[in-house]
Amino acid sequence: MGKLVISNTPHIKSKSSTKRIMIDVLIALLPAFVMGIVYFGWYALLLCAISLITCILAEVVYLLIVGEKIKDIIRKFDFTSAVTGLLLGMNLPPECPWYLPIIGGIFGIVVVKMLFGGTGKNFVNPAITARIFLVLSFASFMTMWGEPSIGALFPLDSGATSGATSGATALGPILQGSSQMSNLDLFLGTGVGASAIGETCKVALILGYIYLVIRKVIDFKYPLIYVGVTGLMMVIYQGNINAFLPSILSGALIFAAIFMATDYVTTPNTTLGNIVYFALLGILTATLRHLRGTESVSFCILFMNFFVPLIDRHIVPKPFGFKKAKKEVKDGK
Amino acid sequence: MSITKRATFLRGVHVPDNKYLTNTKPIEVMPAPKLVFISMSQHIGKPSSVVVNVGDRVKKGQLIGEEVGFISASVYASVSGTVKEIKSIKTPLNTATYVVIENDGLEEEEFLPPIDKNDRQAILDRIRIAGMVGLGGAGFPTYVKMATEEKIDVILINGAECEPYLTCDHRMMVERPEGVVLGAKYIGKALNCDNIVIGIEENKPDAIKAISQIEGVTVVPLKKKYPQGSEKQLIYACTKRKVAPGKLPASQGVCVFNVQTAYQSFEAIEKNKPLYERVMTVSGKGIENPKNILVRNGTPYQDILEYCGGLKDDAVKLIAGGPMMGKILPSPQGYAKKTDSGLLVLDKTEVCLEEPSPCINCGRCAKACPMHLMPMYIDLFTKTGNYERANSYGAMNCFECGTCSYVCPAKRDLVGSIQYCKRKLRETRS
Repeated sequence: MGKLVISNTPHIKSKSSTKRIMIDVLIALLPAFVMGIVYFGWYALLLCAISLITCILAEVVYLLIVGEKIKDIIRKFDFTSAVTGLLLGMNLPPECPWYLPIIGGIFGIVVVKMLFGGTGKNFVNPAITARIFLVLSFASFMTMWGEPSIGALFPLDSGATSGATSGATALGPILQGSSQMSNLDLFLGTGVGASAIGETCKVALILGYIYLVIRKVIDFKYPLIYVGVTGLMMVIYQGNINAFLPSILSGALIFAAIFMATDYVTTPNTTLGNIVYFALLGILTATLRHLRGTESVSFCILFMNFFVPLIDRHIVPKPFGFKKAKKEVKDGK
Repeated sequence: MSITKRATFLRGVHVPDNKYLTNTKPIEVMPAPKLVFISMSQHIGKPSSVVVNVGDRVKKGQLIGEEVGFISASVYASVSGTVKEIKSIKTPLNTATYVVIENDGLEEEEFLPPIDKNDRQAILDRIRIAGMVGLGGAGFPTYVKMATEEKIDVILINGAECEPYLTCDHRMMVERPEGVVLGAKYIGKALNCDNIVIGIEENKPDAIKAISQIEGVTVVPLKKKYPQGSEKQLIYACTKRKVAPGKLPASQGVCVFNVQTAYQSFEAIEKNKPLYERVMTVSGKGIENPKNILVRNGTPYQDILEYCGGLKDDAVKLIAGGPMMGKILPSPQGYAKKTDSGLLVLDKTEVCLEEPSPCINCGRCAKACPMHLMPMYIDLFTKTGNYERANSYGAMNCFECGTCSYVCPAKRDLVGSIQYCKRKLRETRS
C-alpha cells in the first residue's frame, strides 16, 4: 500500500485545466493565423513569432527577477502569455516594423499583466491594451493597412505582391455608405485592406469559434450577441438594413468578438452579466464606429473592461429558492 | 423505453459516475467480525448514553446506547457477545465513545416488541426507538424530521444516488423494491400522506423498472447530473417546488427520505428489527474486489477492506462516503457507522493531484453551482478576510456539494474556502 493522500472534497475533479483552455485558444487561432500568413506573407509570420516569443520571455524574465525558480516557472507555465503573444501578433498591421511586437509584448505582459499580479489579476486585456499602446505611440505605423493577396506567400506573379497603403480599410467606405466591396469578399477577406493580420479571413475565424464552442471554452452566445448588437446598431445609425452584413464582416469585429472580448479575466462571471456586457459592448462599438468613422473595437473592449467589476458587483444571482422578502404587514388595530 | 424529458434541476455538472464497478453486483452479506466498535455518535445531535457495562452479555438488536434529548438516536448491538470495553477512541473523523463487543458467533437476537402497524403514533415511536437516522450520509434523526408542524403532501424518496461510484441504494431498489416502497408508505402513514414519490437517476434503469412494478408509488426518472440527490435540488426536480434558503423542505410540504432509510424503517416496523446494519458500497480502482455489502454497525474499516480483497499498491485515496462529499481517511482506522454509504479506494488515475493555480475568472463555478452562488468571489473575499462581503455572494447557502471545485480549471479548493468562511461567520455571529 502506497502513502494515502489527504485532500479536501471533492476527491475527483474535471479534466479541464487552465493550460488546456489556453492551448485550445491557441488551436482555435491557428486557422486565422495561417490565413493571415497566406494573405500577407512571411513577414506576418515573423511578426507573430516575435510577438509570441517576446511575451513568453517577458513573463519568464519577470518571474526570474521577482525570485521564482526556473523549475517552478516551467512547471507553472500556463500558456496565457503565449495566447497574449499570438493575439498581439495577429492584431498588428502586416507591414509594421519588427520592433513593434517587442515593445507591445513587453508592455502587455509586464505592465498590464504581471505588475497587477499575473494570470487572472489583470483587469484589462493585455493584448488589447498593448495594441492600443502601440496605436497611440506609433500611430503612423499602426494605421498602415496591408493589402492581402493570395500570392503574397510565393510571389511568382510580380503583380500580386502585397503592398502597404496608408489609408482607409474597407470599413471606412462602409461607414460612409460608399463601399464597393461584396459581402463575399469581406467574408473571405480577399482584396480587403486589413489593419491586423488575424482579422481578415472570417471563414477561418468562424472555424476557430466553432472549435472553442465545441470545446466549451467560450459560450456560443457571447460573440453572437456582440456581433449582432453591433450590426443592428449600425443598421439603426445608417437607416439602411443592408448595412448589417458589411458592417459586421468588415474591420476587426468578428476577430475581437471571438478571441479578444471573450477573455475570461476581463469579462463578468455570470451569464446575465456577460449578456449585459456584450450587449453594451456592441452598442458602444457601433456608436464609436459611427461617430469616429473608423474602427474602434479595441478601444471599446478596453473601455468596457473597466465596467466588469461594476457589473459583477451588481449582477449577482439570487440563491436557489430565494424569494423577495415580503414587507411585513403591521398588525393594524 | 420512450424518450421523455428527464426531470432535473438548474445548473449542476455531469460527473463520470463510474458505477459500472459495482452496479451489477448483488448485495453480499459480510460475515460479522470478531470485534465490533460501535460509536455513540453516529448521528447529528447529542451522543447516545451507554446503557451497558463492561462484561455484560448482549444480544444482536439489544439497546446499548440510549438517545439523549430531542435530537439524538439510539444505538443497538450488531452482534451477540460480551461487552469488552467502553472507551473513547480518536479516529481521523471524530472522537467518540465506543462500545467494543466481542462477537461470540451465536447470533442470538433480541428485537423490539411488535407494534400496531395502523397506529400513526406507534409508527412514529418505532422509527424513533429503532434509532433511525438519515442513511444518505447526513445522519439526521428521522423522527425529528417527521416531527413537523407543516402539512406534508409529498413523501419523496431519494433514489438519485448522484455520488459517483456508490451503488448501495441502487442495489437496494433492484433487490428489495417492496421493502423500500412499504417503508415509504409507513412513513407516509405516520405523516398522514399517501402521495409517495421516488426520484431515480436515469443511469439506474433496472431500479426504475423494479420500483415501477410496485403499486402506490410514483417514479420520477431523473437526468444524470450532480448533485441531483441533494435535498433541495431533488425536490425541485420532482415537484418543481423551490425551498427557500434557510428553510426546511417541510415548508413546501415535502419530506425527503433516503432509500435505505425507507427500507430500514420497513424492517423496524414489520420485522421489529432496530437499525444495526446497512448496505454500503466498497469501490474504486484501488481495491481488489469492489462489492456492495451488508455491513454490521461497528465493523472496522480494515476488516471491510480485507473482505473486499485489500488495497492495491497504487491506492492513493481512501474515502468514507462518495468521492464528491465523502470524508478523506489518512489511514484505514475507523468503524462502520449508520451513515456510511461507501468506502472508496481511488488510485491516481481517478483522483486529481494537481496543485491550485490562480483563478482566471472563467465563471464556470458560478455557472455550475446548484445553489446559484458565486464561489470565485466567496473564495476571493474569504482569502482577504472579508467574510461579510463573501457572504453577500451566498457563502452561508452553500451545502458543500463540491461542484465548484470539481469544474474549476485552476483546481482551486473553493469548497475549502467556503467551509472556512462559514466557520468564521458562525464564530462572529454566535
